[in-house]
Amino acid sequence: MSRRRLALVAVAAGAIAGGALAAALALSTGGTPKPAAAAPVGAARVAAMLRGLDQNGTALGSRTAPVTLVEFADPQCPACGMWARNALPVIVRDYVRPGKVQIVFSGMHFVGPESETALRAALAAGAQHRFWNVVELLYENQGAENTGWVSDTLLHSIGDAVPGLSTSRMLAGLQSSNVTNLLAQGDALAQQAGISSTPSFAVGKTGGTLRVVPITSLSAGGITPQLDAALKQ
Amino acid sequence: MTERRLQEAILVLTILGAGIAAYLTVAHLAHTPVACVASSGCETVQHSAYSELWGIPVAAIGLAGYVLIAASARPRTDLARVTGAAAALAGLVFAAYLVYVQLGVIDAVCQWCMASDVVLVALVAATFLRISRSAAPR
Repeated sequence: MSRRRLALVAVAAGAIAGGALAAALALSTGGTPKPAAAAPVGAARVAAMLRGLDQNGTALGSRTAPVTLVEFADPQCPACGMWARNALPVIVRDYVRPGKVQIVFSGMHFVGPESETALRAALAAGAQHRFWNVVELLYENQGAENTGWVSDTLLHSIGDAVPGLSTSRMLAGLQSSNVTNLLAQGDALAQQAGISSTPSFAVGKTGGTLRVVPITSLSAGGITPQLDAALKQ
Repeated sequence: MTERRLQEAILVLTILGAGIAAYLTVAHLAHTPVACVASSGCETVQHSAYSELWGIPVAAIGLAGYVLIAASARPRTDLARVTGAAAALAGLVFAAYLVYVQLGVIDAVCQWCMASDVVLVALVAATFLRISRSAAPR
């Protein structure tokens, strides 16, 4: 066989094999593009805010960041929603993205049963390293407490809007023992820290002792002095 | 460049690529963090819905590809030359799709995957050059 023909055979075989692998992966994940029409409120903003940031369970940002901020929050708590929409984007831009601070979400679910459903969905998404996308979209689409806003429709819509998330895997994991354990860990952490209201925060050097700190407002300025102080330590 | 030199280059490149793929496979299976520049998205990519195909880590598929290319580097037969070039090109086509997934779907980039992509580009060049530099048919 001529060298030219050998090269053509290799091109054909390689293109077919590579294309088949790509098609198989696309099909196994349910097709590539997510349906834009069903996108929940804030999908683009949340995706942009979190784009390229590492997520590990409920942690957001570099695990080598010098300072860790723990946020104690309930998905149904309106004040937590305000903090998520107003303060978090600034904190992420100025502290998380530059690698100064890692934020860990410690979920609480005392407002009502819908808090637990919402938190379970976010924790299940955490197994795919998409906890923050889901919890932030829940805050973007937050309804009045215990009015049925954490519906299957909303969870499907949120799951479908999160880049790289398998909605079916997230929903299948809602009642898993892993998620139940994470829920219990969050409860224990809040109890240990003496948290009685949300949102509450603890700040400190990563790997060191964290201290519960007061916030002066639900804007970024309410917590940044505490972050700056911890960074200077 | 002679075929012998190209065979050596292919072997070196496959060792590099296989090392990266093996590292990512082990990290995926052991659920250990991937060493990556701060907040760049390696772990997000490693644990996305696109990190496995039929339960097999995508990195392991890459590792198998590198092993196949390495195995085809030594024999001086047309079958080995075509197998090496086809496997390298298949890897590059698949890698191109994965780059699209990282940039357009997951919104996160895995630097190790990108490093592997660079190795694949070099391997495609080397394996096809090997075909063109092989002894002319008689």
